Order: sequence, then C-alpha cells, then structure tokens
Amino acid sequence: MEEKGRLGIPRALMFYRYFPFWRSFFERLGWKVMVSDGVRQKEKIVYFEDSCLPMKLLVTHAMQLKEKVDHLFIPRLVSIHRTYIMCPKFRGAPDIVRLATERKVSIIDETIDLRKGGISLLQSFLRIGERLGASRQESKKAFREAEQSFSQFQKGWTDRINRLPTRQLFEMDIATPPAGRKAPLRVAFIGHPYNLFDIDINKDLLALTKSLGMEIITSDFLSEQEIDREVSGLSKEIYWSSGREIVGSLFHFLSGGVDGVVFLTSFKCGIDALLQEFIKRRLKVRGGSSIPLLILSLDEHTGREGLTTRLEAFQDVVEQRKTENI
Amino acid sequence: MKVTFPHLGSMHIFCKAIAETAGIPYIVPPETSRKTLTLGVLHSNECICLPFKMILGNFIEALQMGADTIVMVGSGPPCRLGLYDLVQKVILEDMGLHYRWLTIPPRLTWQAIWKNHEETKELRKELSARNIFLFPYGLWMGWKKMMACEALEQLAMKVRPIEIKRGETQKRLKKALSWVDEAKTPRVLEEAIQKGKALLQEMEQDRSRIPFKVAIIGELYTVMDPHINRGVEQKLGELGVEVTRTSWFSTHIMRSLRKNKADQTSERTRFFEASKAYLGYDVGAECNVSVGEAILRSKEGYDGVVHLMPFACMPETTASGILTKVGKDWDIPILTLILDEQEIEGRIQTLLEAFVEMLEWKRRAA
Ligand code: SF4
Ligand code: SF4
Repeated sequence: MEEKGRLGIPRALMFYRYFPFWRSFFERLGWKVMVSDGVRQKEKIVYFEDSCLPMKLLVTHAMQLKEKVDHLFIPRLVSIHRTYIMCPKFRGAPDIVRLATERKVSIIDETIDLRKGGISLLQSFLRIGERLGASRQESKKAFREAEQSFSQFQKGWTDRINRLPTRQLFEMDIATPPAGRKAPLRVAFIGHPYNLFDIDINKDLLALTKSLGMEIITSDFLSEQEIDREVSGLSKEIYWSSGREIVGSLFHFLSGGVDGVVFLTSFKCGIDALLQEFIKRRLKVRGGSSIPLLILSLDEHTGREGLTTRLEAFQDVVEQRKTENI
Repeated sequence: MKVTFPHLGSMHIFCKAIAETAGIPYIVPPETSRKTLTLGVLHSNECICLPFKMILGNFIEALQMGADTIVMVGSGPPCRLGLYDLVQKVILEDMGLHYRWLTIPPRLTWQAIWKNHEETKELRKELSARNIFLFPYGLWMGWKKMMACEALEQLAMKVRPIEIKRGETQKRLKKALSWVDEAKTPRVLEEAIQKGKALLQEMEQDRSRIPFKVAIIGELYTVMDPHINRGVEQKLGELGVEVTRTSWFSTHIMRSLRKNKADQTSERTRFFEASKAYLGYDVGAECNVSVGEAILRSKEGYDGVVHLMPFACMPETTASGILTKVGKDWDIPILTLILDEQEIEGRIQTLLEAFVEMLEWKRRAA
C-alpha cells in the first residue's frame, strides 16, 4: 500500500498502554507511524503549564514531533471503561497541545468515551479513520486487526516486562526472549502505566529492579473482578478507572501472592496524592500488612541515585522477610 | 447530637441559621486559622487540594470541641472533590475521632436518598418532631441570610476601592454580617439587612476615583473563601480595584438544583460557551468557566483577571495553561495565583501590588 503520510504519536501518557493498538490501526490504514524519542535531560522538558510531569512530557513529545508529521494523534480520553472515567486533565490534553504547538499541526483529537456503550470504541476509530480519509470498511477492518494483534500482545505482557529492556516493551516487532533463570523475589509494581514504563519518569526503575533479582508483576495480571473485590465495599465509589486499578490491585497484592509492593506516583498528580493518603490510612486502621510497601514520588527532579538507594533498602527488607518466613 | 459543617466564606451563617431555627444543636468550627490549616496539612499530604486541608482542619477542630455529626454537601466526578469524604473519613478514623457523617446529596435523586438511607434513619431517631417541623422554616431563614450576606459582600466590593479610610469597608462589612448572623426572626433580619446596607453606603467615599475592574476566577472554594485565598478580594479592593466574581454560594446551589435544565441565559453558560474556542470538552470543576470568563471579561472592557487555584489543582492547572494564551490573544492581563499552605500572605500582597501597578501603567499608556 502506498504511504498516506506521517502520523505522530507522542511517547507519553496512554502510549504506555495502547501504543500497539494505535500503531497497528494506523499502519493498516497506510500511515507511517512516527513516535517521539525520549527526553533524558530535564532541561529539555517544555514548561507550557505547571502540571504533573506526565502532562509536561506529553507537551514535550508533541513538540518534538510537530514538524515531522502530518497529524498528531492525541485522543481525548474521557473514559476507557464502561463505567469509570479518566483524570480530568486528559480531557483538556489535546487543547493544551494545540496551544503549545501554536495550532500549527493537525491534531487528531477524537473523543473516546466508553461509557457510551459497547461499540463506541469502534465508532471513535471509524471517525478517526474518516478524518484520515479511510472508508468505513477500511477502518473497520483495520480496527478488527488492531484488536487482534493487541490482544495477542497483551497475552505475553508479563513475560515481556521481565525479559525485555523497558524501551522495547511496546515494540511489537521485537519478540519476547525465552525465559532465563527464575528470580527469587516477586514484586508488584503499581501505578499509572506511564509511571511504570516511561523511563524519563522513573529512570528505568524496572531495569534496576530486575537487575536486583526481582521479578515484576503489574495490575495487568489481575482480572477486573479481583480488583473490584478490594474496592467495592468503600463508602464512596472511586470513579477514576486508574484510581480503582491502583487501590484495588495494591490492596490485593498486599494481602498476598507477592514478596513486596512498589507504588510509583507522580508528584503533583491529583489522583495519586489523594489515593495515596487513603491507602496509607486504610492500611493503618486495618492493622497494616506484613508485605513491605514502597511508595516513590517521581518528578523531573528525581535522581537515579536516590531511587537506587531506596530500592536497594526495600530489597533488603523484602529479602529479610522472606528468609524469616521460610 | 451536635452537628457541624465546614467553613466556606459566609456559609456558616447559612448552616447556623438552619440549625438554630429548627432547634438542632450545632457547633460552628472556630474561624479558619493558621492552626486549622496546620491540622489539615499535618493529616494529609502536600499535593492534596488546599480546600481539602481546610475542611479537614475545620472538622478536626469541631470534633475536638464536642461536635459528633458532620454535615457535608456531597459531590461527584470528575474531580477530587467527589472523593474528599472517602478520604477524610478514614483520616478521622485513623486519628481516633468519632463522628457520624451526613451527606446532603448534591442532586436530589432517588439513588442519592437511598444511599443516605441508613444515615437518615439514624438521624431521625435523634430529631424531635419539632425539629423536623421547623426544618423548612430554618431552611428559609438560612437562605434569606445567605442572600443577605451575598448582597452585603457585593456592596462592599463596590465601595471598597473608593473608601477614604483604608480598611473601613471591611470593618463595616464584618459588623453588618454579624447583624445578619445574629438576627433570630424575619423581622429583625430585614432590619439588619437595611441597617447593614446603610452602614456601607454611608461610609465616606471618594467618588471621583475610577476603580480598575478586575474579575476573580478559578477554583470555587479558593475564590469564595477568604481564608483560602488570603483575602485577595479585600486586598485588591484596598488597592483601588472593583472586584467581580461569579462564584457565590447561591450560584452553586441554584446550579445543582436545576442541573439538568441547562439555563441558557446564565452567566456560567455564557462563559462555558465562550471557552469552546480553546477547550473542546468540559474538563471539570471550574476549568471551562474560568477560561470563558476571562475571554468575556476582556470583551466587556475589564482591566484584568485574577485567576485563583490551589496548588496541584487538576482542572485549574489545565485552565492556567490555556489562560496564558487567552491573555495574549485577548490582550487582558491575567494573574494566576497558586495558593498553598505556606505563609504566602506577604507574597500575595506584593504580587497584587505589582499587578495593579501594571494596570495603572496600561491605563496611562492607553
Ligand atoms: S492521572 Fe495524575 S499523572 Fe496522570 S495526567 Fe492526571 S494528574 Fe497527571
Ligand atoms: S477543582 Fe482543584 S481543588 Fe477542587 S477538587 Fe479538583 S483538584 Fe481539588
């Protein structure tokens, strides 16, 4: 198929969950997908607004791409669950990028709101396809194929996390290497996907963890029911899907199945700040958990050394507890 | 039983009037102070909303004074306000404070009433037939008083920039509000309102001054509560600025009462519509209204806009990014003030002085 043009996807926010899906959809429609590179130095971060680091990174990545592409793909993610919603900032994200890029690049900012019913995701993508000049049939076919390859991708997820360098996790063309030696410790990593997988945010904490002999599992590993069980009896329903996932999986893992739990938060993240307080207090009034919990707060000033020290100390605690329990 | 409620501007006058008229025992939390804030800060974390900390501090102080039932208007998605109660409850529990929590549903739906069913039943047991009988009357008194407070505050905003003796308006406003607060019957209340208005109107004024016109926009608790915003309204007024704001207790109550029949003529709707040039979706809380109001105020010939937001506030962070552009596109000075728990009174004063100086400079250049 001839190339229709270049479509840019900023390596930020929900890239760290849906990139394989997005990429196959656009490629099947004949677009060359361009992804922004990393940032590495904090001096390169664009301060359009004084937001949380993940949002600043979205703007920074969009700026990197703006001259190289025909369109930027920044969907307006209102809800990616049939009941629950995303953080309010996602609703304004395309608008922020539009202003930061001085309205100079076309932004595909289709609203995605899955509360509207089962086929609304397909419909959103049909509209996206339409904006890119694809017919309904073409878009529908591309959507189905993207769905398929994404579910294939998800199946191998836990293996990928543990066996591939973080930067390659979302490169579908790179196959997962065979299993090596089994790690002696198993640790759950909890947090917004970008906090877990963006090495500009967490200085590649995953690599460090693995090098210290810990196997990683994430909330992707749990079913929705398992997560719901932990948050269904609360006095108020947590209405952010990411928030539910964080609180639910955290309590789930703290009640067993892993040797330790790491919660990665973004400083200035409204959701993380509020839920973190809830988590700490609830654990306390319920008599705590015997499984070690490490909460790390990340922003552009976070240094690798500090993180390493804390992770190593955490590993000691985890190891000690494990030997005592044997 | 002793009920309590958080502070929010003059809202305590409203709550107190209801409880008092209906004969329900209550405790007004001590006026929000440094100590209140310190308590709130101590029991939460840096990036939690400043309103959350203030409210938490109010509750802690009231519970320590013997209150046992917290009454709070509920809220919902998409922002954090809707989950304040979830988190505050467990914090109070962890602190070993005992309380009952009564949520007034923000919208009266069956679902909301059902959810509160248990609490309401419990409460019924403690309320006498007399309490219940008098409640509607209490509500009426409360509403009357609230409207009176707002009228007085609006009047104060008008005369403050032209007062001859600096600080006089504030002194008189305080007195007038206390008369309203103390009134026990409709007749006395009516007198208090008239007397209060006269007190402000008869103050010595310099009518030759042409005050600057500035709109205060932003997160609603921060706009409405002088303790949270460290008296921005008063400070600006005393610098010779006639301040306008659209966030009032009554605005938000009315808004929640006719939520679904979107009022096409309301100011908020106009602001919301105006924001569409910049925002393609309702971000939540006051974000879109803030953006739209700044645009329309520029068109209406206002001299400037002061945008208030708590540190790490989600919707207003988005708004502030957009407002930088709005300010340029519409040639209107916009000052964003980020409020946190630090001792920032002095800094705010300096920023406001510089802002007003800039307005003077702009006026001279025009
Ligand atoms: S969820 Fe938190 S980190 Fe993510 S965009 Fe919202 S505020 Fe930022
Ligand atoms: S609008 Fe701001 S202050 Fe209010 S709940 Fe949301 S984040 Fe907190």
